[in-house]
Amino acid sequence: MSAVENALPQFSEARLDEIKVLVARYPHARSALLPVLYMAQEDFSYLSMEVQQHVADTLGLHLMAVREVVTFYTMFREKPCGTYLLEVCTNAGCMLNGADDLVRHLCDKLDIKVGETTPDGMFTVTEVECAGACGGAPVVQINNAYHEKADAAHMDAFITEVRGKGGEA
Amino acid sequence: MTISSDPKKVTKICFDRIDIPNQKSLAVARENGAYEFLPTVLKKFDADKIINEVKTSGLRGRGGAGFPTGLKWSFVPRNTGKPTYLLCNADEGEPGTFKDRDIMRFDPHLLIEGMIMAGFALDVRDAYIYIRGEFLHEANVLNEAIKEAYEANLLGENILGSGFSMNLLVHRGAGAYVCGEETALIESLEGRAGRPRFKPPFPAVEGFYKCPTVVNNVETLATVPAILKHGGAWHAAIGIPNNTGCKIFSVSGHVNKPGNYEVPMGTTLRSLIENQCGGLQHGTVPKAIIPGGSSTPWILAEHYDVPLTYDDIMKAGSFLGSGAIIVMDETADVVALTRRLSHFYAHESCGQCTPCREGTGWVERVMNRVDGGSGCEGDLKVLKEASEHMAGRTICALAEGAAAPILSMLEHFPDEVRSRLKEKSS
Amino acid sequence: MTVLYINDEEVTVAAGTSILEACREQGAEVPYFCYHPELSVAANCRMCLVEVEGWNKPTASCCTPVAEGMKVRTQSEGLEKDREMMMEYLLIHHPLDCPVCDQGGACKLQDYAVEHGASHGRYNEVKRSVVDHDLGPFISTCMTRCIHCTRCVRFAEEIAGTSDMGVLDRGDHMRIDGIVEDCLSSELSGNLADICPVGSLLDKPSNDISRPWEVTRHKSTCTQCPQGCDITIESRGDEVIRIKPYRDGVEPWICDRGRYVYDAFRSDERILEPKVRENGALTSSNWDDAISRTVALLQGKRVGIVFSPDWSIEGLTSIRLLNDIAFEGAKVAFDLHRRDMREFSFEEGLSMTTQQIEDAEQVVVLGSDLRQRLPVLMQRLRKRINSGRPVTRIGAMNYRTNSEPTCDALIRPRDWPAVIARAMEQVTELGKLAAGMDEWMSKVKERHEAGKLLADALISDSCAMLVGEEIRSHEDAAALIYGLDLLMRACGHTEEGSDGRNLIPEGMNAQLLSAVFGDVRTSVGALFDAASNGELDALLLIGSDPLGDGLFPAQAKAAMGKVPLIQVGAISGQVSEYAEVQLPAAAYSEVEGSFINMEGRVRVADQPLKSMGSERPLWKVMMRLVQSMGGEVPAVDMGELRDQVLRFAPALKATWSGGAEELIVPSRNRGVKTLASAAKPSASLDVVSRYSLYREGAWARASDLLVEAGRLHCLDDVLVHPDTLKSAGLSEGENSIKTAAGDEAAYYVGQREDVAPGVLFVAKRGVAGDLSSESSAELAGGK
Repeated sequence: MSAVENALPQFSEARLDEIKVLVARYPHARSALLPVLYMAQEDFSYLSMEVQQHVADTLGLHLMAVREVVTFYTMFREKPCGTYLLEVCTNAGCMLNGADDLVRHLCDKLDIKVGETTPDGMFTVTEVECAGACGGAPVVQINNAYHEKADAAHMDAFITEVRGKGGEA
Repeated sequence: MTISSDPKKVTKICFDRIDIPNQKSLAVARENGAYEFLPTVLKKFDADKIINEVKTSGLRGRGGAGFPTGLKWSFVPRNTGKPTYLLCNADEGEPGTFKDRDIMRFDPHLLIEGMIMAGFALDVRDAYIYIRGEFLHEANVLNEAIKEAYEANLLGENILGSGFSMNLLVHRGAGAYVCGEETALIESLEGRAGRPRFKPPFPAVEGFYKCPTVVNNVETLATVPAILKHGGAWHAAIGIPNNTGCKIFSVSGHVNKPGNYEVPMGTTLRSLIENQCGGLQHGTVPKAIIPGGSSTPWILAEHYDVPLTYDDIMKAGSFLGSGAIIVMDETADVVALTRRLSHFYAHESCGQCTPCREGTGWVERVMNRVDGGSGCEGDLKVLKEASEHMAGRTICALAEGAAAPILSMLEHFPDEVRSRLKEKSS
Repeated sequence: MTVLYINDEEVTVAAGTSILEACREQGAEVPYFCYHPELSVAANCRMCLVEVEGWNKPTASCCTPVAEGMKVRTQSEGLEKDREMMMEYLLIHHPLDCPVCDQGGACKLQDYAVEHGASHGRYNEVKRSVVDHDLGPFISTCMTRCIHCTRCVRFAEEIAGTSDMGVLDRGDHMRIDGIVEDCLSSELSGNLADICPVGSLLDKPSNDISRPWEVTRHKSTCTQCPQGCDITIESRGDEVIRIKPYRDGVEPWICDRGRYVYDAFRSDERILEPKVRENGALTSSNWDDAISRTVALLQGKRVGIVFSPDWSIEGLTSIRLLNDIAFEGAKVAFDLHRRDMREFSFEEGLSMTTQQIEDAEQVVVLGSDLRQRLPVLMQRLRKRINSGRPVTRIGAMNYRTNSEPTCDALIRPRDWPAVIARAMEQVTELGKLAAGMDEWMSKVKERHEAGKLLADALISDSCAMLVGEEIRSHEDAAALIYGLDLLMRACGHTEEGSDGRNLIPEGMNAQLLSAVFGDVRTSVGALFDAASNGELDALLLIGSDPLGDGLFPAQAKAAMGKVPLIQVGAISGQVSEYAEVQLPAAAYSEVEGSFINMEGRVRVADQPLKSMGSERPLWKVMMRLVQSMGGEVPAVDMGELRDQVLRFAPALKATWSGGAEELIVPSRNRGVKTLASAAKPSASLDVVSRYSLYREGAWARASDLLVEAGRLHCLDDVLVHPDTLKSAGLSEGENSIKTAAGDEAAYYVGQREDVAPGVLFVAKRGVAGDLSSESSAELAGGK
């Protein structure tokens, strides 16, 4: 095996076993593509082209089939993001309850624009569509954990806490 | 179950046990009646009886389409030699909707029990819960509950010795509103991009991998245990004829106590907002209300007393939809809201159909200018025509949903819109 | 049947037909982009909306089935407005490229914009532009023009089977993408330019050269492979611009070889004037001089004629006439892939049409790289496989088919007798018998399990057996084919109407060649050996290139080095190095003539292009030679020539007199009783020579486009299974291969799992060319 091949992403043996069990729960392996992409995103932090090819090989799919899915769904990342992904809902219910102001506040505080990551790699701020928790508007997802009634004060406290701990989760 | 067997006294069905601490654990759920009636169903009921009870109950799909559930189940052909699949639609992406989330995270066993009963009626071997990707916590809760159910022989082989076997798996989506449409959901579950399919063929006949498939909303399935325990007639006596049972309304926007509220069908909009939701944030008269999720036409204060039923809302010019009520009081900027909604639809369009793919993008860009103050009179005609010719001419109804806010804004608030235009018109 | 009303006219169609198809059948105009009769329905363009009485919204007619009594309207004010809006939506981002876009003049978007669109659009926002991809030498991309109809994506998945084109992203960011390494891997890729309704995917070689209204269209027949597809040759003036499938042809597609070979028509390799060798080089001459030189070399001598099968029937017959008159008693040869000249129980040609093969209950492919050999037939089998119907494959390699055959087995050519014997055993057990089967079986000691797969396919109501080049070129082919004939007979597949015996021919006109040359033919190898042994004085090569093609390159080289060579043909090729005289014969596109394809269909070409130089139709060259050698010319015009043809093939009379199409059937030899030979191959590895779509045939090698494609698709010189290398103690790379005669040479040997163990697969014919002459060899040693 050449050195280049060694550097390519590979699922661990344990992960491959997990995938095998999962594939058996569906009529065809292709159905497991979304859950396996989540696993890959967890293991390799984002879905580079090499990772996508590896997923395609693992499930016996053409790379195109994987790319169609990765580019269609918003939760699959082809580029790395910050340690903390701050996804602010700015759709109807949240918009009517100050979400736009919250986004401006976060961007000012972290000194980045929407979609960008802070230079220290800690925080990325994005706007997302309705998170399905409108009763708790404004809603912010932080690494997929829901923070409801997440006003400016709440977010400031979170950022302070994280930064205080030296950036650990 | 603590639900009254007297339909006149019933105010909640799905949310009956929602406030009980740790109701999500099997042990606690069982203490409160979960799975109590299941053995009877498995031993004494057959497919016809179950489907008839559900037909009699008048239950209509709670995801938004309002299609009679019993009728949908009866469309599934038997003995085709192909497996039948039951898919629970937990995609809950319609802006304003957040009811299924509470069922799943607080009383998951209610949903699971409903699915087992539905699966039994439809002769299903493999069932899936398609849950939106963002609901990671809810997916974890469901997975834990399913694990407990398997361990207690409530799922898997030979459930409770009945001879009926069914598997259940949670499958996470990955951020696409369009996957809430049943054929797009099926595409996504097949491991593809979630692009809706044209009908016919209908999923009941050719769905998941071309096999008979039933797609039902969470709330719909969660209602099944009560219907089977108390009988279809019991359910039919709650609410209003043709609009039977209770409904969970997700109320958000300019109200003091936004949240999920389950009430009998026929409760008026005013009563819900002023009683359960603590009234409007500002003033006493709503500026506009979106009654069934952002894809439904707006209704105005003149309809504040409309009973919340499929039929009455339709008479008022809109749809009950998912029951997601977005309230705008006098402080609402309707143009800004419409602009934001037009961005949503452009972002979520799957891109297949010409008018939706190109039209939603066009409308968004025009709305950006109109909201930003550089719109002109000609833009209003464009918004109207681009929206009217999307609606009804596409494979799925996303285009109709995209058209709704634009057409409502133009119809009900033309002056407010015009006040934002530039002085010169083009 | 369903009765419905389209614009108040009653129409009857098959149940389940879509409204759009019903409209097309009836002639009602409904615009559409994404619909295509050969592809699955996508229903995404929304251009085909029609109104149905009682329905409150317009409906997409392509995906809505007709219903009894349905009343459809294809014209109304509402539909007019809808179509106008659809055009406006599409033109939002579509660039105003018409002046520089090749699709102009043949563009649906243009046509519908004129017919249905408004005179200007109202979009004033930012416009989308999309990055292009490099899809290789055949298809150019301008993705900004794409209207997302997804015809190309569906083509790639359903027809080509490569699934390398797909749809990325969503909303109006949606874009079509192709994942390719250097080029699209499908041999049908050229069809993408035909099906793209706008100028997004265009034919790269013909890009920017002419407008559709400038070209003349000539209906013609492709002769690159035995399928003989109906083609349209588009020319502007005298220059061929493009080849496309003929609109109402039997097959809706053509392969890249037949499509892109046209640049060979004007290549430097064309023989356009008579040439003679002076001082070691071929120099321009004139007909008189060249003919007299030819006569001097051939008259009264012992001459061997080797010709290619893809001349017209008339041309081929004229070769026979020349042979009879000028070289009485001489032998001819024309099959570069046939070693065994004994009679076959069923000779070359198909007993079924390609449609019947597609529809048969079972299909079994024996020893053929069908995708490269007959790509358009392979596409039909791919359709079969995609719809869940079985295809069995047995051969020396799991050739790429861009589909998944239902079952397959890897065997070595020397295993064929054992495979057939095992199949015979199996069918005998099931009570299927044929006289002679026991005797055949008794001569074969071994049994190979792959025979069970063959037997399984034969036990069916209809079985299409495709016998490929691995069997046809076998040294014991006659015995193998007799064995297969017995099997088909035993299982009921030899009767008229259910005859499933399909021996894939060398090239076009196979059925006629048997009739015309049956009694004077010999094998190419034997003919060249005769020349090398001093039994022949001269060689006359008519269109054939035995150095570049076939299984006798070594013998050809030896023969051509020994005796003088006269080359008659359209392409020079490697053979020209040995030619004393070159006489130019017209290309297949430049003649009036008839061609018979493998199904037995007769096509008469009557719209020839003008000759480019001094080349003449072959038959005229042959008659000139007859005359110059003092013989009586048997035919002076086409009519007389065709009378001569009818002496050998009377069945053609019906076709030439305008009668109903009759398929010419392949020859059968009932009396054959050839049993398997006991001889063992002299070396341990069987040599299988690869047929490359892009490199086979002098025409392909004279085409720059196909040479480039061949380069992009090439494999290592020689391929073996990893186990074969291991047991020889060798590894991938330069290795030495020894023939049975003891000659050794070095080749690059690569390894692949899909080559049968025990087989030496000669992949790069040009380099490993001489190995093609061998039927067995050894791996001798590493570097």
